[in-house]
Amino acid sequence: MNRWFAVSACGEVPHGHVAHTQLLGQELVLWRSASGTLNAWENRCPHRGVRLTLGTCVGEELRCQYHAWRFASASGQCTHIPSHPNQKPASTIRSQVFPVFEDGTFAWVNLTRAAVPPQQAAVGIDTALRSLFADAPVAAVRQVLLRGYADQAVGLVDEFTLDATEYALRFMLQPVTADQTIIHARLQGEVAAAKRMTVLRHHNALLSAARDHAEAAS
Amino acid sequence: MITLYDYELSGNCYKVRLALNILKVPFTARPMDFHPAREHKSDWFLKLNPQGQLPVIDDDGLVLRDAQAILVYLASRYDASGHWYPRHDATALGRISQWLGFAQDLTATAGAARLHDTMFLDVDIGKCRAGAHALLRILDEHLWFAEQAGEKWLCGADRPSIADLACFPYVMLSEEGGISRLPYPAIRRWGDRVKQLPGFIPMPGIFPAAAT
Repeated sequence: MNRWFAVSACGEVPHGHVAHTQLLGQELVLWRSASGTLNAWENRCPHRGVRLTLGTCVGEELRCQYHAWRFASASGQCTHIPSHPNQKPASTIRSQVFPVFEDGTFAWVNLTRAAVPPQQAAVGIDTALRSLFADAPVAAVRQVLLRGYADQAVGLVDEFTLDATEYALRFMLQPVTADQTIIHARLQGEVAAAKRMTVLRHHNALLSAARDHAEAAS
Repeated sequence: MITLYDYELSGNCYKVRLALNILKVPFTARPMDFHPAREHKSDWFLKLNPQGQLPVIDDDGLVLRDAQAILVYLASRYDASGHWYPRHDATALGRISQWLGFAQDLTATAGAARLHDTMFLDVDIGKCRAGAHALLRILDEHLWFAEQAGEKWLCGADRPSIADLACFPYVMLSEEGGISRLPYPAIRRWGDRVKQLPGFIPMPGIFPAAAT
């Protein structure tokens, strides 16, 4: 499916961190190299199939936990095989890399390998709310959000903006599997520091209730 | 010299080994055949711990059972810095005790699910997993808001406490009990921070965060 999905707030994958997520059934390792490049790869070492999320970030490379093969940020190319330290790994040994871009607040992934990140006008920094994992399909989550949050919604099917609140609120639904969804949401612009925590907690409570309703309904 | 009655694959024994290592306290491990021999239910061991559970420590004649109690003792006696269990800070002690209780609940849910899957413990596996997920949701939410407030640990901004050590093992071993941590990204980041503590040691199923 040639479509972009938000998979994480940018700040939640800090330098050197190796995160774990899933999109439309495809498990992903999401990691940021020491210099800041974000990577979204198939969560599977091309050597023995072990999950790369068990591995560690080493500078500009991701190191598999099993045999310590290393793979380069951006290209996914295997750079080092400890049992053959003097051989350059064949160019065919590489992780499956998915296209990824960051809009300043969220990271987006497309499972179509040829997809090109959209050319976009500079997006201002928004406020990422806490993302919530729901044991419910996207359709059930969408229905509850639309019903519970406001009467009006505009935008794409699973990316919609509500202007009824003080800060325009935008949802981005990540289909994890057919039965699971991650609810990402952002408030347009930066919330003043003085009320930031209150606003974050307020929306977390609302979203948690929506999540619970969606789970109960599915 | 402390003797630790120890089982390599036990998360509760691991948290004591972790604390001893971080606090640089020398000890001798007495390995126990928990599975399949059930040495922790043997007559001689029941005299040491009538509850028949691991771990137990013997520190020059002081015999203590219960992993959380042992953490309280070790930090109180051997941590010169005082941050692992700040005995004169009532607020911190209340918060830490709350998470020590939470750690017991993790053992009873995530820990039990793991024993079910790996050592054939007879439990209601669905109930254990559901209970574990309910706890992990609470933990993930707590840690996300802690990060937003600039705090890295379960109880406080700058320095970890025994609460972090108590909760860490059965969270990180959850997948051996069929409990995915994919829904809990803030827990994953906290796990990284624990793994980067000076003196951190791994155990089977818990890998180091940095290349070694």
